Amino acid sequence: MSEAYLRFWGVRGSYSAPFASHLDVGGNTSCVEIRADGHLLVCDAGTGIIPFGQHLMQQDGIREMLVILTHYHWDHVCGLPFFLPAFAEDWRLNFFGPGQNAGEIERHVSAQMRAPYFPVSTDTWHAAVDYLQPPGGNLEHGPFRISYQNVHHPGITYGYRINLNGKVIVYISDNECLFLNKSIEQRYQEFNSEEQRLYDSMKREEYDSALQFMQGADILIHDAQYTPEDYEKKRGWGHSCYIDTVNSAIDAGVGQLYLYHHDPNYDDERINAIHQDCLRIIAERQSALDCHIAREGLTLDLA
Amino acid sequence: MNRSNPVVVVVDDSPSVKSLFEHSTASLGVELKTFSSAASSLAYLNSQKPALLFLNIIMPDKDGLTFLRELRGNPLHEDTAVIMISSKDYAQDRHAAWELGALEFISKPMPMQAITEAVKKHIS
Repeated sequence: MSEAYLRFWGVRGSYSAPFASHLDVGGNTSCVEIRADGHLLVCDAGTGIIPFGQHLMQQDGIREMLVILTHYHWDHVCGLPFFLPAFAEDWRLNFFGPGQNAGEIERHVSAQMRAPYFPVSTDTWHAAVDYLQPPGGNLEHGPFRISYQNVHHPGITYGYRINLNGKVIVYISDNECLFLNKSIEQRYQEFNSEEQRLYDSMKREEYDSALQFMQGADILIHDAQYTPEDYEKKRGWGHSCYIDTVNSAIDAGVGQLYLYHHDPNYDDERINAIHQDCLRIIAERQSALDCHIAREGLTLDLA
Repeated sequence: MNRSNPVVVVVDDSPSVKSLFEHSTASLGVELKTFSSAASSLAYLNSQKPALLFLNIIMPDKDGLTFLRELRGNPLHEDTAVIMISSKDYAQDRHAAWELGALEFISKPMPMQAITEAVKKHIS
Protein backbone atom coordinates (compact mmCIF):
# COMPACT_ATOMS: atom_id res chain seq x y z
CA MET A 1 0.00 0.00 0.00
CA SER A 2 1.41 3.39 -0.94
CA GLU A 3 1.60 6.31 1.46
CA ALA A 4 -1.34 8.03 -0.19
CA TYR A 5 -4.57 6.26 -1.00
CA LEU A 6 -8.35 6.55 -0.96
CA ARG A 7 -10.54 3.65 0.12
CA PHE A 8 -14.30 3.25 -0.07
CA TRP A 9 -15.73 1.77 3.14
CA GLY A 10 -19.38 2.55 2.42
CA VAL A 11 -20.99 3.42 -0.90
CA ARG A 12 -24.74 3.08 -0.37
CA GLY A 13 -27.20 5.91 0.04
CA SER A 14 -30.25 6.16 2.29
CA TYR A 15 -29.85 2.92 4.25
CA SER A 16 -27.57 -0.08 4.34
CA ALA A 17 -28.20 -2.96 1.96
CA PRO A 18 -26.67 -6.15 3.40
CA PHE A 19 -28.14 -8.41 0.74
CA ALA A 20 -26.22 -11.11 -1.11
CA SER A 21 -27.38 -9.64 -4.41
CA HIS A 22 -25.83 -6.24 -3.49
CA LEU A 23 -22.50 -7.15 -1.97
CA ASP A 24 -20.28 -7.00 -5.03
CA VAL A 25 -20.90 -3.24 -4.92
CA GLY A 26 -21.32 -3.19 -1.14
CA GLY A 27 -24.00 -2.69 1.46
CA ASN A 28 -22.62 -0.10 3.88
CA THR A 29 -23.60 3.57 3.78
CA SER A 30 -21.29 6.50 3.04
CA CYS A 31 -17.72 6.47 4.30
CA VAL A 32 -14.49 7.17 2.45
CA GLU A 33 -10.98 7.05 3.91
CA ILE A 34 -8.26 9.25 2.44
CA ARG A 35 -4.79 8.73 3.86
CA ALA A 36 -1.65 10.64 2.96
CA ASP A 37 1.70 11.43 4.55
CA GLY A 38 0.64 9.88 7.85
CA HIS A 39 -2.60 11.88 8.04
CA LEU A 40 -6.11 10.55 7.92
CA LEU A 41 -9.19 12.22 6.47
CA VAL A 42 -12.58 10.53 6.65
CA CYS A 43 -15.53 11.62 4.53
CA ASP A 44 -18.84 10.81 6.27
CA ALA A 45 -19.61 8.34 9.00
CA GLY A 46 -22.27 5.98 7.70
CA THR A 47 -22.18 2.29 8.52
CA GLY A 48 -18.98 1.99 6.48
CA ILE A 49 -17.11 3.67 9.31
CA ILE A 50 -17.81 0.65 11.56
CA PRO A 51 -15.57 -1.85 9.71
CA PHE A 52 -13.15 1.00 9.11
CA GLY A 53 -12.92 1.56 12.87
CA GLN A 54 -12.30 -2.14 13.43
CA HIS A 55 -9.54 -1.97 10.82
CA LEU A 56 -7.96 1.06 12.50
CA MET A 57 -7.85 -0.67 15.88
CA GLN A 58 -5.68 -3.39 14.38
CA GLN A 59 -3.03 -1.04 12.99
CA ASP A 60 -0.30 0.97 14.62
CA GLY A 61 0.70 4.46 13.71
CA ILE A 62 -1.99 7.02 13.06
CA ARG A 63 -4.01 8.00 16.12
CA GLU A 64 -5.71 11.13 14.84
CA MET A 65 -8.21 11.87 12.10
CA LEU A 66 -10.42 14.58 10.71
CA VAL A 67 -13.97 13.45 9.96
CA ILE A 68 -15.77 15.75 7.52
CA LEU A 69 -19.53 15.25 7.40
CA THR A 70 -21.59 16.34 4.42
CA HIS A 71 -24.71 16.56 6.60
CA TYR A 72 -26.38 14.77 9.47
CA HIS A 73 -28.92 12.51 7.78
CA TRP A 74 -28.74 9.09 9.39
CA ASP A 75 -27.01 7.30 6.55
CA HIS A 76 -24.06 9.67 7.02
CA VAL A 77 -23.66 9.52 10.80
CA CYS A 78 -25.22 6.25 11.98
CA GLY A 79 -21.88 4.43 12.15
CA LEU A 80 -20.48 6.73 14.84
CA PRO A 81 -22.11 4.99 17.84
CA PHE A 82 -20.15 1.87 16.85
CA PHE A 83 -16.89 3.51 15.77
CA LEU A 84 -14.28 1.90 18.00
CA PRO A 85 -11.56 4.61 17.88
CA ALA A 86 -14.03 7.01 19.52
CA PHE A 87 -14.09 4.73 22.55
CA ALA A 88 -10.27 4.39 22.76
CA GLU A 89 -8.23 6.74 24.94
CA ASP A 90 -5.28 7.01 22.59
CA TRP A 91 -7.24 8.45 19.68
CA ARG A 92 -7.99 12.05 18.73
CA LEU A 93 -11.04 12.72 16.55
CA ASN A 94 -11.75 16.06 14.93
CA PHE A 95 -15.19 16.63 13.45
CA PHE A 96 -16.39 19.16 10.92
CA GLY A 97 -19.71 19.56 9.16
CA PRO A 98 -22.53 22.02 8.56
CA GLY A 99 -23.16 24.26 11.55
CA GLN A 100 -22.88 27.83 12.64
CA ASN A 101 -20.17 27.04 15.17
CA ALA A 102 -18.33 24.18 16.87
CA GLY A 103 -21.05 23.82 19.51
CA GLU A 104 -23.74 23.32 16.89
CA ILE A 105 -21.63 20.71 15.09
CA GLU A 106 -21.21 18.88 18.40
CA ARG A 107 -24.96 18.97 19.04
CA HIS A 108 -25.68 17.54 15.60
CA VAL A 109 -23.09 14.77 15.93
CA SER A 110 -24.14 13.77 19.44
CA ALA A 111 -27.92 14.02 18.94
CA GLN A 112 -28.32 10.45 17.70
CA MET A 113 -26.52 9.08 20.78
CA ARG A 114 -29.14 10.10 23.30
CA ALA A 115 -31.86 8.18 25.08
CA PRO A 116 -34.19 6.80 23.92
CA TYR A 117 -32.40 6.42 20.59
CA PHE A 118 -29.15 4.96 21.93
CA PRO A 119 -28.10 3.71 25.36
CA VAL A 120 -24.82 5.63 25.70
CA SER A 121 -24.00 9.20 24.82
CA THR A 122 -20.91 10.74 23.27
CA ASP A 123 -19.85 11.46 26.87
CA THR A 124 -18.73 7.83 26.95
CA TRP A 125 -16.24 8.41 24.17
CA HIS A 126 -12.76 8.08 25.62
CA ALA A 127 -10.98 9.59 22.63
CA ALA A 128 -10.04 13.26 22.65
CA VAL A 129 -12.80 14.77 20.53
CA ASP A 130 -12.76 18.21 19.01
CA TYR A 131 -15.42 19.94 16.94
CA LEU A 132 -13.93 22.45 14.55
CA GLN A 133 -15.10 26.02 14.35
CA PRO A 134 -16.01 26.87 10.75
CA PRO A 135 -12.93 28.59 9.36
CA GLY A 136 -12.97 31.81 7.41
CA GLY A 137 -11.27 30.05 4.52
CA ASN A 138 -10.15 26.48 3.91
CA LEU A 139 -9.95 23.67 6.42
CA GLU A 140 -6.49 22.20 6.77
CA HIS A 141 -5.43 18.81 8.07
CA GLY A 142 -1.87 17.68 7.39
CA PRO A 143 -1.41 17.76 3.61
CA PHE A 144 -5.16 18.20 2.99
CA ARG A 145 -6.54 21.61 1.99
CA ILE A 146 -10.32 21.42 2.06
CA SER A 147 -12.93 23.85 0.80
CA TYR A 148 -16.66 23.27 1.02
CA GLN A 149 -19.82 24.54 -0.59
CA ASN A 150 -23.55 24.10 -0.16
CA VAL A 151 -25.10 21.62 -2.54
CA HIS A 152 -28.65 20.77 -3.55
CA HIS A 153 -30.02 18.48 -0.85
CA PRO A 154 -32.57 18.99 1.94
CA GLY A 155 -31.16 21.06 4.80
CA ILE A 156 -27.65 22.42 4.81
CA THR A 157 -25.45 19.92 3.01
CA TYR A 158 -21.83 20.39 2.01
CA GLY A 159 -19.77 19.14 -0.86
CA TYR A 160 -16.02 19.04 -0.23
CA ARG A 161 -13.16 19.88 -2.57
CA ILE A 162 -9.96 18.36 -1.23
CA ASN A 163 -6.54 19.37 -2.50
CA LEU A 164 -3.86 16.84 -1.70
CA ASN A 165 -0.42 17.85 -2.88
CA GLY A 166 -1.89 19.23 -6.11
CA LYS A 167 -4.32 16.36 -6.70
CA VAL A 168 -7.97 17.38 -6.40
CA ILE A 169 -10.62 15.06 -4.98
CA VAL A 170 -14.21 16.30 -4.92
CA TYR A 171 -16.63 14.50 -2.62
CA ILE A 172 -20.31 15.27 -3.17
CA SER A 173 -22.28 12.43 -1.67
CA ASP A 174 -25.78 13.89 -1.85
CA ASN A 175 -26.71 16.38 -4.53
CA GLU A 176 -29.54 16.80 -6.99
CA CYS A 177 -27.88 17.96 -10.20
CA LEU A 178 -29.74 20.41 -12.42
CA PHE A 179 -32.78 20.73 -10.15
CA LEU A 180 -33.44 24.39 -10.93
CA ASN A 181 -32.79 23.90 -14.63
CA LYS A 182 -35.40 21.17 -14.78
CA SER A 183 -37.84 23.32 -12.80
CA ILE A 184 -37.35 26.12 -15.31
CA GLU A 185 -37.87 23.77 -18.25
CA GLN A 186 -41.06 22.39 -16.71
CA ARG A 187 -42.56 25.87 -16.22
CA TYR A 188 -41.00 27.60 -19.22
CA GLN A 189 -44.26 28.15 -21.09
CA GLU A 190 -45.78 29.94 -18.07
CA PHE A 191 -43.23 32.74 -18.36
CA ASN A 192 -43.38 35.82 -20.53
CA SER A 193 -40.59 36.52 -23.02
CA GLU A 194 -38.58 38.67 -20.60
CA GLU A 195 -38.84 36.05 -17.88
CA GLN A 196 -37.82 33.37 -20.37
CA ARG A 197 -34.73 35.40 -21.32
CA LEU A 198 -33.76 35.82 -17.68
CA TYR A 199 -34.38 32.18 -16.84
CA ASP A 200 -32.33 31.06 -19.83
CA SER A 201 -29.39 32.97 -18.40
CA MET A 202 -30.19 31.71 -14.88
CA LYS A 203 -29.91 28.14 -16.17
CA ARG A 204 -26.45 28.87 -17.50
CA GLU A 205 -25.42 30.56 -14.25
CA GLU A 206 -26.71 27.67 -12.18
CA TYR A 207 -24.95 25.05 -14.27
CA ASP A 208 -21.70 27.01 -14.40
CA SER A 209 -21.79 27.46 -10.65
CA ALA A 210 -22.37 23.75 -10.05
CA LEU A 211 -19.58 22.80 -12.45
CA GLN A 212 -17.13 25.28 -10.97
CA PHE A 213 -16.90 23.35 -7.70
CA MET A 214 -16.02 20.09 -9.47
CA GLN A 215 -14.07 21.73 -12.29
CA GLY A 216 -10.92 19.85 -13.25
CA ALA A 217 -11.12 17.40 -10.36
CA ASP A 218 -8.80 14.44 -10.70
CA ILE A 219 -11.32 12.34 -8.79
CA LEU A 220 -15.01 13.13 -8.40
CA ILE A 221 -17.09 11.01 -6.02
CA HIS A 222 -20.68 12.00 -6.71
CA ASP A 223 -24.26 11.00 -6.01
CA ALA A 224 -25.63 8.90 -8.89
CA GLN A 225 -28.49 7.32 -7.02
CA TYR A 226 -31.30 7.04 -9.53
CA THR A 227 -32.14 5.68 -12.94
CA PRO A 228 -34.16 8.14 -15.10
CA GLU A 229 -37.34 6.19 -14.32
CA ASP A 230 -36.85 6.37 -10.56
CA TYR A 231 -35.68 9.96 -10.72
CA GLU A 232 -39.00 10.96 -12.24
CA LYS A 233 -40.76 9.47 -9.20
CA LYS A 234 -38.30 10.95 -6.71
CA ARG A 235 -37.52 14.32 -8.20
CA GLY A 236 -37.00 16.76 -5.36
CA TRP A 237 -35.60 14.15 -2.98
CA GLY A 238 -32.13 15.64 -3.26
CA HIS A 239 -30.38 12.96 -5.31
CA SER A 240 -29.16 12.80 -8.88
CA CYS A 241 -30.06 10.77 -11.89
CA TYR A 242 -26.81 9.14 -13.03
CA ILE A 243 -27.19 10.66 -16.50
CA ASP A 244 -26.98 14.17 -15.03
CA THR A 245 -24.01 13.13 -12.90
CA VAL A 246 -22.00 11.76 -15.80
CA ASN A 247 -22.83 14.70 -18.06
CA SER A 248 -21.84 17.16 -15.34
CA ALA A 249 -18.54 15.34 -14.82
CA ILE A 250 -17.83 15.46 -18.55
CA ASP A 251 -18.67 19.16 -18.75
CA ALA A 252 -16.50 19.92 -15.70
CA GLY A 253 -13.46 18.24 -17.23
CA VAL A 254 -13.21 15.67 -14.45
CA GLY A 255 -10.55 12.97 -14.75
CA GLN A 256 -12.16 10.07 -12.90
CA LEU A 257 -15.79 9.80 -11.82
CA TYR A 258 -16.88 7.35 -9.11
CA LEU A 259 -20.64 6.76 -9.14
CA TYR A 260 -21.63 6.90 -5.46
CA HIS A 261 -24.50 6.82 -2.97
CA HIS A 262 -26.06 3.85 -4.73
CA ASP A 263 -29.75 3.27 -4.18
CA PRO A 264 -30.20 0.43 -1.64
CA ASN A 265 -32.91 -1.05 -3.86
CA TYR A 266 -30.46 -1.58 -6.72
CA ASP A 267 -28.62 -4.89 -6.83
CA ASP A 268 -25.21 -5.46 -8.39
CA GLU A 269 -26.69 -6.21 -11.79
CA ARG A 270 -28.64 -2.97 -11.88
CA ILE A 271 -25.66 -0.85 -10.82
CA ASN A 272 -23.52 -2.55 -13.44
CA ALA A 273 -26.17 -1.64 -16.02
CA ILE A 274 -26.04 1.99 -14.85
CA HIS A 275 -22.28 1.93 -15.26
CA GLN A 276 -22.56 0.51 -18.76
CA ASP A 277 -24.98 3.26 -19.73
CA CYS A 278 -22.57 5.87 -18.33
CA LEU A 279 -19.82 4.39 -20.51
CA ARG A 280 -22.18 4.65 -23.50
CA ILE A 281 -22.84 8.33 -22.77
CA ILE A 282 -19.13 9.02 -22.38
CA ALA A 283 -18.38 7.31 -25.69
CA GLU A 284 -21.20 9.14 -27.46
CA ARG A 285 -19.86 12.44 -26.20
CA GLN A 286 -16.34 11.44 -27.19
CA SER A 287 -15.13 12.24 -23.70
CA ALA A 288 -12.01 10.94 -21.98
CA LEU A 289 -13.83 10.72 -18.63
CA ASP A 290 -12.81 7.57 -16.72
CA CYS A 291 -15.98 6.36 -14.99
CA HIS A 292 -16.20 3.69 -12.30
CA ILE A 293 -18.62 2.26 -9.79
CA ALA A 294 -17.62 3.16 -6.23
CA ARG A 295 -17.39 -0.29 -4.63
CA GLU A 296 -16.85 -1.11 -1.00
CA GLY A 297 -13.17 -1.98 -0.51
CA LEU A 298 -12.04 -0.32 -3.73
CA THR A 299 -8.74 1.46 -3.09
CA LEU A 300 -7.25 4.17 -5.28
CA ASP A 301 -3.56 4.97 -5.25
CA LEU A 302 -3.08 8.72 -4.75
CA ALA A 303 0.71 8.74 -4.80
CA MET B 1 -35.53 57.88 -6.00
CA ASN B 2 -37.33 59.47 -3.10
CA ARG B 3 -35.23 59.05 0.06
CA SER B 4 -38.29 57.97 1.98
CA ASN B 5 -38.99 55.06 -0.35
CA PRO B 6 -38.86 51.76 1.51
CA VAL B 7 -35.70 49.77 0.88
CA VAL B 8 -35.89 46.22 -0.45
CA VAL B 9 -32.66 44.23 -0.18
CA VAL B 10 -31.91 41.14 -2.25
CA VAL B 11 -28.98 38.88 -1.40
CA ASP B 12 -28.43 36.39 -4.23
CA ASP B 13 -25.35 35.43 -6.21
CA SER B 14 -27.27 35.20 -9.50
CA PRO B 15 -27.07 38.26 -11.80
CA SER B 16 -30.29 37.03 -13.44
CA VAL B 17 -32.12 37.18 -10.12
CA LYS B 18 -30.90 40.73 -9.71
CA SER B 19 -32.37 41.59 -13.14
CA LEU B 20 -35.59 39.79 -12.24
CA PHE B 21 -36.00 41.94 -9.14
CA GLU B 22 -35.12 45.13 -11.02
CA HIS B 23 -37.87 44.40 -13.55
CA SER B 24 -40.36 43.27 -10.92
CA THR B 25 -40.00 46.23 -8.59
CA ALA B 26 -39.39 49.02 -11.10
CA SER B 27 -42.82 50.55 -10.69
CA LEU B 28 -43.43 49.79 -7.02
CA GLY B 29 -41.86 52.90 -5.51
CA VAL B 30 -39.22 51.02 -3.57
CA GLU B 31 -35.47 51.43 -3.44
CA LEU B 32 -33.83 48.16 -4.47
CA LYS B 33 -30.42 47.19 -3.17
CA THR B 34 -28.87 43.98 -4.42
CA PHE B 35 -25.85 42.10 -3.09
CA SER B 36 -24.19 39.07 -4.66
CA SER B 37 -23.07 37.45 -1.41
CA ALA B 38 -23.83 37.36 2.28
CA ALA B 39 -20.48 38.95 3.05
CA SER B 40 -20.95 41.85 0.66
CA SER B 41 -24.36 42.66 2.15
CA LEU B 42 -23.05 43.03 5.68
CA ALA B 43 -21.63 46.50 5.20
CA TYR B 44 -25.21 47.61 4.67
CA LEU B 45 -27.12 45.21 6.92
CA ASN B 46 -24.88 45.73 9.93
CA SER B 47 -26.30 49.20 10.30
CA GLN B 48 -29.48 49.39 8.21
CA LYS B 49 -32.82 47.66 8.48
CA PRO B 50 -34.55 47.24 5.11
CA ALA B 51 -38.31 47.19 4.80
CA LEU B 52 -38.03 43.76 3.21
CA LEU B 53 -35.10 41.37 2.76
CA PHE B 54 -35.00 38.60 0.16
CA LEU B 55 -32.39 35.91 0.87
CA ASN B 56 -31.20 33.11 -1.38
CA ILE B 57 -30.25 29.83 0.32
CA ILE B 58 -27.47 28.31 -1.78
CA MET B 59 -24.74 30.92 -2.12
CA PRO B 60 -21.02 30.31 -2.50
CA ASP B 61 -19.91 32.10 0.65
CA LYS B 62 -22.69 31.19 3.08
CA ASP B 63 -26.07 29.50 3.01
CA GLY B 64 -28.99 31.87 3.44
CA LEU B 65 -30.46 30.04 6.42
CA THR B 66 -27.26 30.31 8.43
CA PHE B 67 -26.97 33.93 7.36
CA LEU B 68 -30.53 34.64 8.50
CA ARG B 69 -29.83 33.06 11.86
CA GLU B 70 -26.78 35.27 12.26
CA LEU B 71 -28.83 38.33 11.29
CA ARG B 72 -31.51 37.43 13.84
CA GLY B 73 -28.79 37.61 16.48
CA ASN B 74 -28.40 41.28 15.69
CA PRO B 75 -31.11 43.23 17.58
CA LEU B 76 -31.52 45.40 14.49
CA HIS B 77 -32.81 42.39 12.55
CA GLU B 78 -34.67 40.38 15.16
CA ASP B 79 -37.92 41.26 13.43
CA THR B 80 -36.75 42.27 9.95
CA ALA B 81 -39.22 41.09 7.31
CA VAL B 82 -37.50 38.29 5.37
CA ILE B 83 -38.53 36.18 2.40
CA MET B 84 -36.42 33.21 1.39
CA ILE B 85 -35.96 32.55 -2.33
CA SER B 86 -34.36 29.31 -3.43
CA SER B 87 -34.10 26.64 -6.06
CA LYS B 88 -34.30 24.27 -3.08
CA ASP B 89 -37.87 23.32 -2.42
CA TYR B 90 -37.52 20.83 0.39
CA ALA B 91 -39.78 20.66 3.44
CA GLN B 92 -36.73 20.70 5.73
CA ASP B 93 -35.58 24.03 4.29
CA ARG B 94 -39.07 25.55 4.42
CA HIS B 95 -39.41 24.48 8.05
CA ALA B 96 -36.00 25.94 8.91
CA ALA B 97 -36.97 29.22 7.24
CA TRP B 98 -40.22 29.46 9.18
CA GLU B 99 -38.45 28.71 12.44
CA LEU B 100 -36.21 31.67 11.71
CA GLY B 101 -39.23 33.88 11.20
CA ALA B 102 -39.21 34.10 7.41
CA LEU B 103 -42.53 35.39 6.14
CA GLU B 104 -42.53 33.39 2.94
CA PHE B 105 -40.50 30.83 1.02
CA ILE B 106 -40.60 31.42 -2.72
CA SER B 107 -39.28 28.64 -4.93
CA LYS B 108 -37.27 29.46 -8.02
CA PRO B 109 -38.19 29.83 -10.79
CA MET B 110 -40.71 32.44 -9.72
CA PRO B 111 -42.57 34.66 -12.17
CA MET B 112 -42.03 38.39 -11.77
CA GLN B 113 -45.61 38.68 -10.58
CA ALA B 114 -44.77 36.60 -7.51
CA ILE B 115 -42.05 39.07 -6.57
CA THR B 116 -44.26 42.05 -7.25
CA GLU B 117 -47.09 40.63 -5.13
CA ALA B 118 -44.76 39.72 -2.26
CA VAL B 119 -43.28 43.21 -2.16
CA LYS B 120 -46.70 44.86 -2.29
CA LYS B 121 -48.06 42.55 0.41
CA HIS B 122 -45.26 43.02 2.89
CA ILE B 123 -44.32 46.63 2.23
CA SER B 124 -47.84 47.87 2.66
